[in-house]
Amino acid sequence: MTARILIIEDEALVAMELRFVLEDLGYEVVGTAPDARTARALASRGGVELALVDIHLTDGATGVGLGQELGEDFGVTVLYMTANPGMVRHGIPGTMGVLTKPTDEGCVRSAVEYALHLRRGEPAPVVPDGLQMFG
Amino acid sequence: MASDPDAIEAERLRVLRSFDILDTDPEQAFDDVMQLAARICEAPVGMVSLAVGDRQWFQARDGVDVSQLGGAGWFCDYAMAQPGVTQVADAERDERFAGDARLAGTSAFRFYAGAPLVDDQGLALGVLCVLDSRARPGGLNETQLMTLDVLARQVMALLERRRALRERRRSDEAATAAVEAARLVTEKLAESDARFQAIADSMPQMVWSSRPDGHHDYYNARWYAFTGAAEGTTLGDAWGEMIHPEDQERARTAWRASLSTGEPYEVEYRLLHHTGSYAWTLSRAMPIRNAAGAVTRWFGTGTDIAEMKRLEQAKALLSQELSHRIKNIFAVISALLALSARQYPEAKAFARAARTRISALARAHEFVRPHTESSRPSLDGTTLHAFLCDLFLPYDDDAGVPRVVVSGDDADFDDQAATPVALLFHELATNAAKYGALSAPEGRVMLSTRRQGDRYVMRWRERGGPAVRGIPDAAGFGSSLLALSVEGQLGGALEQTWAREGLEVVADIPATALAPRRAAGTFM
Repeated sequence: MTARILIIEDEALVAMELRFVLEDLGYEVVGTAPDARTARALASRGGVELALVDIHLTDGATGVGLGQELGEDFGVTVLYMTANPGMVRHGIPGTMGVLTKPTDEGCVRSAVEYALHLRRGEPAPVVPDGLQMFG
Repeated sequence: MASDPDAIEAERLRVLRSFDILDTDPEQAFDDVMQLAARICEAPVGMVSLAVGDRQWFQARDGVDVSQLGGAGWFCDYAMAQPGVTQVADAERDERFAGDARLAGTSAFRFYAGAPLVDDQGLALGVLCVLDSRARPGGLNETQLMTLDVLARQVMALLERRRALRERRRSDEAATAAVEAARLVTEKLAESDARFQAIADSMPQMVWSSRPDGHHDYYNARWYAFTGAAEGTTLGDAWGEMIHPEDQERARTAWRASLSTGEPYEVEYRLLHHTGSYAWTLSRAMPIRNAAGAVTRWFGTGTDIAEMKRLEQAKALLSQELSHRIKNIFAVISALLALSARQYPEAKAFARAARTRISALARAHEFVRPHTESSRPSLDGTTLHAFLCDLFLPYDDDAGVPRVVVSGDDADFDDQAATPVALLFHELATNAAKYGALSAPEGRVMLSTRRQGDRYVMRWRERGGPAVRGIPDAAGFGSSLLALSVEGQLGGALEQTWAREGLEVVADIPATALAPRRAAGTFM
């Protein structure tokens, strides 16, 4: 399974590592964005299926609203990836769930697979550890 | 009236004293009456004589030098005992006095006429009498007798008036004293009220008082200055309107609770400021009780804590920002390790192990850092058990059932204990996953924690894994980390038993080691 994934993360090293992990798994990373503006520009080119969205970006805690926008306006499946899951504990419309950082390759892999299965309407296995689903 | 002579004597003395006249100086009114009696009776001597115990005391006298006579049996004693006027026409020839030696030397008086002074109770108190050195065989004429009788009653009236005056004076004095006392009390109250007002008004705090039923009846100047309310407009129950709508119910509930229990009142709320905005204030009140323990009054204060709140919020923001950055550093180090290891495939296993250790540390610090409601990592709180359950989450089975079962006494732990605790259980769990109970699908770990006096004992028991074949040959770095954490950092004892059915580890540490800062009584 392959997919076009957008990484929204302000720590360049963390973003780069995540990119390598996803590429090793065979996914296409369309870009990494450190702020909401860059993320919007990348998403508007179209074709993004999944976005991994950190909440605290270089322009502040803009990740929450950005995730909702990507989900509702761009049709992107959104998983938050944050060290502060409490900020989206009650769910954000248009988004799927939250992955708590720090996390590891295994968790990222199963969470991404799970989200893509749901997006494509395929039967999905149990919710992987570390992934909290909304609704 | 009593008939016993002693009782009569005592009563007479009491009545005489009530006139407040005994042994006083002559008075014009009595002298006038006495002199009129003497003049009309054509006698050179007149007296108003009062029977005081065993003496006759002359309240008024004319023509005689002595002011009193002692002993009984004098003319007056006789006259007092008779109703109407008693006359002695010639003492020398009168059988009642003829043999009295005392009169022999005072033959100056041969004639005597006296009318008793009788009070409204019929008690004779003395006599109005006239005396003459000549014998007067004819005695007094009709007019003189009547005059003496009338004037005796006049003396009595003077005495009564004297008593009435005295009583009125006394009651006047009492009334004046009462008025003066009341004035003093009022003055003192006004003074203490003024002092209270001065203190209350000069305080930087808002001060108010309330009746036991909760009716507010006083606010100091600071309250009116702070809120901008017109004086008197917040009395009674109207104070609630000054509070932010979102805080009103909370404040009223707390106030009602204090009124019904008598417990001190303390609540923080946003109070309307005269600028139109709301400011955080701390409101407190204490009950004043009477000797019977009933609440007679509540005294309350309101303190502007807006600045304190701002500082608190700034401090919370700063410490959250700091710990967020610290957590980011964990993430960056972890990413750096992973990125570095990409160039060296042989270091991949090493990098993975190091990253999971760093991850465990990051998780532990996440639990002990200062939190707001939304930054809290777990809804179950930040206790040791909550952290352990979170740490062991990756080892749950496919159905999401925990394979490391945590039970027993929970405990708080702080940032100082976070590192050794995280490393201890991370090493135990990863070892169990590699070689122990968690390497087999059916394997389980029972982790029980128990507070035993001043010790905290954590027991790790593996079951259902591959059979243990004695102590492993070489203790790896993981084992060193265990010993370092428990014995070095937590100051406890570590005991490992490689039983055939599974590894058992007991970490016995001082209870205070989990939260050394709290145990020392210092907080961040």
